[in-house]
Amino acid sequence: MDDRELVRLAKDGSRDAFAELVAKYQSKVFSMAMSFIRNREAADDAAQEVFLKAYLALDKFHMKSEFGTWLYRIAVNHVKDVLRKRGRAKEVPLDEVAEVSVTDENILEKAEGEREVETRRALVRSSVQALPEKYRVIVTLRDIQGLPYEEIAQVLHLSPGTVDSRLHRARKMLRRKLAPVLVQEGGSREL
Amino acid sequence: MNCKKAEKLVLRSLDGRLDDRARGLLEEHLSGCPSCRQAAAEYRSMLALLRPEREETPPAGFWERLEPRFREEQKIVPYVLWERWALRAIPAFAALVAVAAGLFLFTPPAREMSQSEALLIENANPFSETRSLFEAKRPEEKSLMLIFASLDEKPQARR
Repeated sequence: MDDRELVRLAKDGSRDAFAELVAKYQSKVFSMAMSFIRNREAADDAAQEVFLKAYLALDKFHMKSEFGTWLYRIAVNHVKDVLRKRGRAKEVPLDEVAEVSVTDENILEKAEGEREVETRRALVRSSVQALPEKYRVIVTLRDIQGLPYEEIAQVLHLSPGTVDSRLHRARKMLRRKLAPVLVQEGGSREL
Repeated sequence: MNCKKAEKLVLRSLDGRLDDRARGLLEEHLSGCPSCRQAAAEYRSMLALLRPEREETPPAGFWERLEPRFREEQKIVPYVLWERWALRAIPAFAALVAVAAGLFLFTPPAREMSQSEALLIENANPFSETRSLFEAKRPEEKSLMLIFASLDEKPQARR
């Protein structure tokens, strides 16, 4: 059964239909919450809140967009609220994130195989968290969640051109910050 | 092509949004520009590090934990709707009471009936009284009685 049919049934009061929608989207919503919140328990709670909000607002969904896009919009707004309430909306300027250096002893100690990749991955994620909100959201949706540009534009109510330019700027900021841990051209530090 | 344009094309290329012509131009630029090759390698590395290795899945029993919250929410919703309705109804009711009180206080009092109206209500002929005046024999008496009769008429209340 496709989303439209499931939504129609859920609007008519079918709990099973909504349960099917939850089963289909729970990982996507949880994964998005996790990308922002980075705590499994809090992300799980946020994902549940997102589905509750969606269920209560189902009558306002007129199928003008895809159900998934509408759900993502609720999720992004909810997660932003959660972060604001937790006081994380007060962004740490990118310059204040601990400087990354390949000569750092801690990193060199871990610079073996998967652990090195994990360390670098964690550093990249920390730098994303330190971006101003509008850049953090767009990088999360595109580069972590892998949403297409058009869907990001719909979720955030932005023009595709704005998505493009904002993403470009966010990636430039990140690269500038992370250059020391990124692969050098012709270097040996492959992923 | 300058390096600024090349950087944009590098990112479009990594997103898979570059046509063949632009790709050719980019490759040509990269072959002669070490700093842009470096930038391209760094962007590729950064995007690979950002991509999760696997999709995160919520802890088991997501629906089982969610369903009781639905039930709870459905209990709350009618109460919330009533509360919202009541909150809107209170000022509406107060306004209604105020309008009614205003109407009651500012309605002009009913004017007293004139003699003619009283006679009409009693189903009596209002002209029967005046007929005697007109039938008076002496003209002076008739005029005086008419003047006194007109003074007897109560002034009508202003509307």
